[in-house]
Amino acid sequence: MRAKLVVLVAAISLLASAVPVFAHHAFAAEYDAKKAVTLKGKVTQVDWTNPHARFYIDVTDEKGNVTNWNLELASPNVLVRNGWTRKSLGIGDMVTVEGSAAKDGAKMANAKVVTLADGRRVFAGLQGGNAPNQ
Amino acid sequence: MKKHLVGVAFALAILAFISLVATSSAQQRSTLNAPGAATSPAGAGGLQRGPAVPTGPAPRLPDGKPDLSGVWNGGGPVGDLEMGLAKGETIPLLPAARKIMEARQSKDDPEANCLPTGIPRIAPYPWRIIQTPTHIFFLFEGNIHSYRQIFMDGRKHPEDPDPTWYGHSVGRWEGNTLVIDTVGFNDKFWFDFRGHPHTEKLHTIERWTRKDLGTMVNEVTIDDPGAYSKPFKLTFTARLRPGEELMEYICQENNQDVHHIQGPAGVP
Repeated sequence: MRAKLVVLVAAISLLASAVPVFAHHAFAAEYDAKKAVTLKGKVTQVDWTNPHARFYIDVTDEKGNVTNWNLELASPNVLVRNGWTRKSLGIGDMVTVEGSAAKDGAKMANAKVVTLADGRRVFAGLQGGNAPNQ
Repeated sequence: MKKHLVGVAFALAILAFISLVATSSAQQRSTLNAPGAATSPAGAGGLQRGPAVPTGPAPRLPDGKPDLSGVWNGGGPVGDLEMGLAKGETIPLLPAARKIMEARQSKDDPEANCLPTGIPRIAPYPWRIIQTPTHIFFLFEGNIHSYRQIFMDGRKHPEDPDPTWYGHSVGRWEGNTLVIDTVGFNDKFWFDFRGHPHTEKLHTIERWTRKDLGTMVNEVTIDDPGAYSKPFKLTFTARLRPGEELMEYICQENNQDVHHIQGPAGVP
C-alpha cells in the first residue's frame, strides 16, 4: 500500500512538472537509452563523489570471464535527498543493475534501478541523475 | 519546436509513470514480507523528500521590501533556452551565432566540464538567495558550487569591466520586483545544453518577482547584438524548497563523463 502511495505521489510530481530533469550533461550525449543492460555482479569499488556517485562491479559471463563495469548514479546530494547513504552499497555486495550503456562502447553504464544486496529495488537516478525515462 | 519539446517531455513523464508502476509491482512481488519497503534505501520514497511547495503570500522584510530569501529550484533554462519563450516567439539568432551553435559538441559544454552556467542558465540543483541591505547573493549548490553577487548600494557598472562568467551585476527594486542588470560577461558559457551562444556584448536584465510564498518568476531580457538580431524575453519560474539546505557539490572531484560524451550539442 505504501509502495503504491509512493508511486502515486511520484507520478503526480512527474506529471505536474512534466519536464525532464538533467544533471550537468545531457544524458543522450553519453549514454544510449536503446542499449539497455542488466548486469549482475559483486561490488568492487564505491566512489561517493561528484558530479556523480559511481560504483564498480565484477560481472562474470557464462565462460567465466570477469569484466569490471563502471556504473554511474545520480550525484551524492540527489541520492541522499532520496534516502541513500554512502553505505547503501558496500564492497562485496551482490547487486543487479538495470541501466543504459555508454555510447562509446566503454564498460560503463548509467544505472536506472539497482537491486541491492538485501533485495530492494531502488531508483538510482530519478532526479538529476540523467535517467532517460524520468 | 517548443511544442514538440513539451510533447516529448510529457511523453517522457508518461513513460516514467509506467516505469514506476512496473517497478512498484515487481517490488511488491519481491518484498511481500517486507512491509514498508519503498523505492529508496531509507524508505523515503523515490522522489526527493520534503514537503510540497507552500502556498501563501510572499513575505516581506521589516523595511517593507520583498523577502526573496530561501532555497529555490529552477528559475532559468537548463536544457533549452526556447522553453522560456512566450507562445509564438522565436529566438532571433544571427547567422554567425547559428553557425557557432550548430558546430558545438556536447563534450565542450562548459557545464559538462564543471564550469559555471553563467546567466540566465540554471543547474538542476537547489540554490539560495541571501539578502542584505548592500548585497544580494545567489549561492549555487551545483554546477558549479559557486555564487553570484548583486550590488544593491546604487553603484554603477565599471566603464570597462573585465569579462567574467557571472558578469557585473547591479540591482534595484521596482515595486515588488528585483531588477538585476548585468554586463561584463565572458563569451565562454552556453545558455543551455543546445549550445545557444553569446558574445561579450551580452547584457541581461532579470526581473525577479516573488509571486507568492512558494513561487518566484524570473523574466529575463537577453540583449546581445553580437549574437542576436534584437533583444528577447524569456520567463522561468523558481519553486521554493522549504526545509532544504544546500549541500556540498564539487563537480571537479571525479568528472569522468566528459571523456565519454559524444555528438553535437542537444537536449537529452
